[in-house]
Amino acid sequence: MIRLRVIAGAEWRYWLRSRLVLGSALLMAGLLLATTAVTTLRMQGEAAERTHHQDKAEAAFLAQPARHPHRMVHYGHYVFRTPTPLAGFDPGLDPVTGQSIFLEGHRQNTPMFAPSGASADLGGFSWLSPAMVYQLFGPLLVILLGHGLIAREREAGTLATLLAQGAPGRLLLAGKAAALLSVIVLMSLPLALSAALAVRDGDPPLAAVALVGVYLLYLSIWGALALLASALLRRRTAVLAALATLWVVLTLVLPAVAVSATSNAAPMAGKLETDLVMLSDLRKLGDGYNVNDPAFARLRAELLAEHGVQRVEDLPVNLRGLVAQASEQKLTDTLNTYARAQMAAETRQAIVLASHGWFTPLLAVADASRALAGTDLAHHHRFLQEAEALRFAFVQGLNRVHAEKLSFSDDIRRSSDAQAEARTRVDASHWRLLDRFVFEPDAAGSRLARSQSQWLMLCAWFAVLVGAGAWVGGRLKP
Amino acid sequence: MNPSVTSLAHMPKLQAEQLRVLRSGKEVLSGVSFNVAGGEVYGLLGGNGAGKSTTLAAFLGFVPAASGRVVVDGLDVGSDLAAARRAMAYLPEAASLYEHLDARENLDYFLQLADMRCSADEIDLALDRVSLGAEARGLKLRSYSKGMRQKVAIALAILRDTGILLLDEPTSGLDPTAIDEFHGLVRGLADAGKAILMVTHDVYGACQVADRIGLLRGGQLVAQFEAPPGGRIDTETVHRAFSPRAAA
Ligand SMILES: Nc1ncnc2c1ncn2[C@@H]1O[C@H](COP(=O)(O)OP(=O)(O)O)[C@@H](O)[C@H]1O
Ligand SMILES: [Mg+2]
Repeated sequence: MIRLRVIAGAEWRYWLRSRLVLGSALLMAGLLLATTAVTTLRMQGEAAERTHHQDKAEAAFLAQPARHPHRMVHYGHYVFRTPTPLAGFDPGLDPVTGQSIFLEGHRQNTPMFAPSGASADLGGFSWLSPAMVYQLFGPLLVILLGHGLIAREREAGTLATLLAQGAPGRLLLAGKAAALLSVIVLMSLPLALSAALAVRDGDPPLAAVALVGVYLLYLSIWGALALLASALLRRRTAVLAALATLWVVLTLVLPAVAVSATSNAAPMAGKLETDLVMLSDLRKLGDGYNVNDPAFARLRAELLAEHGVQRVEDLPVNLRGLVAQASEQKLTDTLNTYARAQMAAETRQAIVLASHGWFTPLLAVADASRALAGTDLAHHHRFLQEAEALRFAFVQGLNRVHAEKLSFSDDIRRSSDAQAEARTRVDASHWRLLDRFVFEPDAAGSRLARSQSQWLMLCAWFAVLVGAGAWVGGRLKP
Repeated sequence: MNPSVTSLAHMPKLQAEQLRVLRSGKEVLSGVSFNVAGGEVYGLLGGNGAGKSTTLAAFLGFVPAASGRVVVDGLDVGSDLAAARRAMAYLPEAASLYEHLDARENLDYFLQLADMRCSADEIDLALDRVSLGAEARGLKLRSYSKGMRQKVAIALAILRDTGILLLDEPTSGLDPTAIDEFHGLVRGLADAGKAILMVTHDVYGACQVADRIGLLRGGQLVAQFEAPPGGRIDTETVHRAFSPRAAA
């Protein structure tokens, strides 16, 4: 439609002549540059730290001379999760979840943060990511450009002149919307660029495209809100005040309310209490270092019966290693029960919090953004699970070596008999079983699937606003 | 004045029939009826707040009729708004145009929205007709005087080339020469067959140019005056009706 283009073009001419777009573009570009720099610095610092730790840990681990396999269980090993390239745009939970875990026997460590010099230097600003610029400042820019679309013309009286030419109100709104949409597309170009770079660096193209799309939709919702307010209210100052209030409510107040509502609706047990309960459970499991612990009496009796021998020393396998295996198994089962409960509680909270996206598009877009960037809770949980699976396999591998390669009699005499001690050492080739851990970020399909309900929320918001716009447009009065 | 055109005008171009309009719950027009035929200038005269602009707003569909109806070129405004608007050109009270555009850009834009394409020559010709100085045409309207803005708005009405013109206080704020010039233009357009509804509080101006005058007071049409064939409406008579106390 020609007239639609004419209206949008006229708006652009106004923006350019009033230097509004130029100023806004500079502001947005400045914010994005600053946050991109901050995020990149932080990630680079963390990556350097990570590589350093990893190399050091790996070198130390592999440089160990022949040792008793159980010593290696305690030596442990770091595993790391490299952030997705899109984490440079939306670090999501990465800065609070940590990306490296020290794997060792008998315990599940919580992930740690690479203590990055960069983030320490930047102090309080390190939380401001490019994604947050889009989520918080993007709407402000859209409001700045959009609040006057109709109200300006109404105040100047040109709205009456426009309508008197026979241009339908809906056409007018559509033309103004097209102008604002074109600005939103321009605003999304830096995001599109970082998405393209992320694809180059290995993120799935579909996830990157969806990420750009979800922000376009989010900013369009703000555009529709601005246009509606502009069409409904008489004074430009009133429109600006209403939209500023709406911004405060939707991006600051409601998310805070949602967080506290969530902790009420889906409370989580305190870490200290949980840890105490878990400790007492673990104490009931028995001592894996003591083959005479009653907890392992059955294992011992069964083994002796199976091999038809009377003495532990006559078994073809080392009972100590087997007890260590059984003990690690029981311990891990208990730890996993708690870990699963913790993850389930966290997931429940995340779901309750996410459901508030029906009330504010900020929560919806933030959730979708994290899921698509591969920096959400589900991603983190999978990292924990895979790291734990690796830890378990590695510890049990060493315990198997312990059981199969070491004799029981050497093992129990190793502190008093130097020759026996020498025989209980196995050489390094036995504990190279720890493959280099590679955490594969989610594929596009599962990232999209996890952002599904957020898309639904944002589409619902947009559809309602477009409907309202059509209604208001049909009744537009000067 | 052209008597042959007046006789052609059996079919009114603008009709208000028992028009009632409420604004913020207050009755602003109460049963106003009149029509304007092609070739005729109808002066709607009244003091501040009498309901003159509201009458125009009703024809433009900017305010709904609470009862009664307004008809434009045979089209009921309540049901056929878009077509009715296309049939009229409207000169708002403050000649509301874009300050950040020049005269040509303003005209070009509004004409495109009216779904019309006019060449640069046609636009310049219309600006010649309203005698807007050539040197002013490339300047942004923010540097224009009220009279110059008015000229651009009239040029738009001329270019729209509709059979009907609605003018809201078109001469307020103009100097006497500009007023005379403007009245000449309006008369010429009416003589060319257009129906012109001119809202004003200027008794002298209305009598100078109108074929008929309706006097609006408190939302009611209290009197109508008609020019005798070949003559003008008597200013004294209208003035007495307009402000009885001042005349007494
Ligand atoms: N938008 C509005 N809302 C409420 N009342 C209005 C509005 N516009 C005009 N009025 C009232 O309607 C009456 C007629 O106004 P108007 O038609 O503008 O008068 P005029 O043009 O004759 O000076 C006045 O009393 C005015 O206060
Ligand atoms: Mg008025």
